Amino acid sequence: MHKIERIAIAGVPNSGKTSLFNRLTGSRQRVGNWPGVTVEKIAGTFALKNSKVELVDLPGTYNLSADSEDQKVAERVIRNGEYDLILNVVDATNLSRNLYLTMDLKERTNQIIVLLNMVDVAESEGIEVDADRLSKDLGLPVIPIVAVDKASVEAAVREIEMVAENLPEHDSHASRLDVMDTVKKYAFIDSVCARTVHEKKDRSESITNKIDNIVLHRFLSVPVFLLSMFLTFWFAIGLGSVFIDFFDIIGGLLFVDLPGAALASLGSPEWLSVMIAGGIGVGMQTVATFIPVVFFMFLALAILENLGYMARVGVVADRIMRKIGLPGSAFIPMVVGFGCTVPAVMAARTLTNKRDRFMTIFMAPFMSWGARLPVYALFCAALFGAYSGLAVFLIYLTGLFMAIFTGYMLKNTLFKGATSHFVMDLPLYHRPQFGAVFKSAWLRMKNFVKKAGSIVVMAVFVLSMLNTIGIEEGQVTFGNDDTQSSILAHGGKAIAPIFEPIGISRDNWPASVALFTGLFAKEAIVGTVNSLYVTMDRVENSVSPVEEEEGLDVAGAVTEAFTTIGEGLVGVISSIDILGLGLITEDQAVIQDEIGADTAVLKHISAHFSVFSAFAYLLFVLMYFPCLAVIGAARQEMGGYYAAIMAVYSTLLAWSVATLFYQLVEGHNFLYMFISLAILAAIYGGLYYLGSKEKGEKMPVFAPPIRKSCCD
Amino acid sequence: MADIMNLADIIKGKSYQVSGFTKSSTEYAEKLSKMGFVVGTAVALAPVQLNDPMVLQIRGSRVALRRSEAAQILVEELNNA
Repeated sequence: MHKIERIAIAGVPNSGKTSLFNRLTGSRQRVGNWPGVTVEKIAGTFALKNSKVELVDLPGTYNLSADSEDQKVAERVIRNGEYDLILNVVDATNLSRNLYLTMDLKERTNQIIVLLNMVDVAESEGIEVDADRLSKDLGLPVIPIVAVDKASVEAAVREIEMVAENLPEHDSHASRLDVMDTVKKYAFIDSVCARTVHEKKDRSESITNKIDNIVLHRFLSVPVFLLSMFLTFWFAIGLGSVFIDFFDIIGGLLFVDLPGAALASLGSPEWLSVMIAGGIGVGMQTVATFIPVVFFMFLALAILENLGYMARVGVVADRIMRKIGLPGSAFIPMVVGFGCTVPAVMAARTLTNKRDRFMTIFMAPFMSWGARLPVYALFCAALFGAYSGLAVFLIYLTGLFMAIFTGYMLKNTLFKGATSHFVMDLPLYHRPQFGAVFKSAWLRMKNFVKKAGSIVVMAVFVLSMLNTIGIEEGQVTFGNDDTQSSILAHGGKAIAPIFEPIGISRDNWPASVALFTGLFAKEAIVGTVNSLYVTMDRVENSVSPVEEEEGLDVAGAVTEAFTTIGEGLVGVISSIDILGLGLITEDQAVIQDEIGADTAVLKHISAHFSVFSAFAYLLFVLMYFPCLAVIGAARQEMGGYYAAIMAVYSTLLAWSVATLFYQLVEGHNFLYMFISLAILAAIYGGLYYLGSKEKGEKMPVFAPPIRKSCCD
Repeated sequence: MADIMNLADIIKGKSYQVSGFTKSSTEYAEKLSKMGFVVGTAVALAPVQLNDPMVLQIRGSRVALRRSEAAQILVEELNNA
């Protein structure tokens, strides 16, 4: 018997393998990715025979064929013998659907212990499984367990220790001789089940059936679905947002203000303080603000999944989503995307099919609404007056249209190939296990902070430096944020002509500079536009804006941070206006009050923009380069290659659409119209090319190793 | 011997068994076979009202399929003697 150091848990989805994993590893868990793929890897440790053993929870799969990334990962690690022992969790209430994976496992290794789970549920449903007989028939050790029960798992661990002693020597080809085809496997499974499973009585109308009668009712399914989606949104975005200000203030205090003050008191040079507090610190603060929404979103997903309702979402939403070529489960990321794109990108990981997942991530930014709303509100208040609501509604519709357009286009270009079929397993409903749900959300959030966070901090650092460093007459100065002397402002001015076709004249450079600060978060556009227009007034006097030096008030900041939670909670409970629709108003006083813009700005906006150029600008803001945090999240989920394609795609699309709109309604310049159409065509061609290239690369080549001749 | 029909046309309350696919060796047929839709397996509509996707009872669990895709699966009625 070899030493056991690494153990993998394998099982079909909902077999209870994750419950077992949680029970065994407790808090010693971490979430990461399997090397080379974007499949989530959940690993931990536990004690077996007093020594520490690494335990990994393989993705839940029904078989080991190469249909999905999840299956490929599971197949690869088992075939390669990366683990010394496979614990195969099978659901006793549904043996015949579970044993197929066991058969697939058996073809690849002989180091398997079958854990017959949910024997308690089976018993209550009148199903009895003869574990000894099952063991004999399968030729594998079988241990009955109840994965959610602590005592049962502890007893099982002792049995695993004993059984593992008697496992045969490892041999990956042990059962290769009797590789069966699907039909033979099921014939074998059916005969095994006939001998081992005894159903005592007719399985009565279970709870699951009763719930499904409502949830999958022809008419009732729709209101139940809409209600559940509203609650998901309310929970993830509404409740999550309550804590954003708290994290923003505390993050600012911990990463920006305190380090800044500390450095200043140590007498560090200004450039160092700026880089550490103003660059890295601000980056960390940015990441911190996403923690609450990402955490609440993962919590909402985990609850839906744990309840068993997630699969039903997929079924009920299928009729709408199939029209745009996505499975019903893609509805959730889209709904969450309404509020914020970052959690939407993360939510796409519930989709098992890689193509569906990537397509959803590409589409999500166009649905977004939350962060851009202050920008829409400001411009609409300045120009559209009583038609503000209509204008925002039109922009939103354009976003929806662009999301669908993106879906259609990607389906035929970048992600062309076989569409996935709809086969959805409906698990039994469970009481959610709050400990497990909470932990899974916590780990995934931590992983987001680590993986997406690092890239966001880097990007924010670079952008902050460009925003704060100014070069004038050979002198390098700092603290030029949102003024016209920063490098960013010079750059923005320099590229302002690019935006002329969308109706932004060269002297309206603040609008183009703001597009850069919009990369931090789209609502930052408001602040930049605000301060740049105000300083523009003083440009002739060349008075540099006076920095307001505020003393560091730690206690005050902490108090304020906690106050925001209270206020937010009252707000989210007392008002159903989570979307912030109250912002869309012609009452300019409300706008100034709510988003902190000066009166002068509204005048500047109406002076520099026409109704149509403002609308074109907002179209551009809607679609262009998603904020840095979104790109960080997209990179975490899809890898840098696709995240880069996404950034370029959305920016080019934004420019073409905004230009086309503006030139059609006001500019009437045929050259610009032609250029934007040419770019649209180029986008299509480029994506098509990348799609074909990808397809060629993906073809797996299993060439037999070429034997060198014996006499070389 | 009952007539062979496709799965999209089955009626609630009756039992059927899988008798094959309209086109075998497609990706879909392969996927479903692995999920237990093999010749001779009993299948019936689950007692829920949803029409499309249709919810099937097979091998002790529930699986939802799109009606249009389910038409690729051939079944025959079991004589409930």
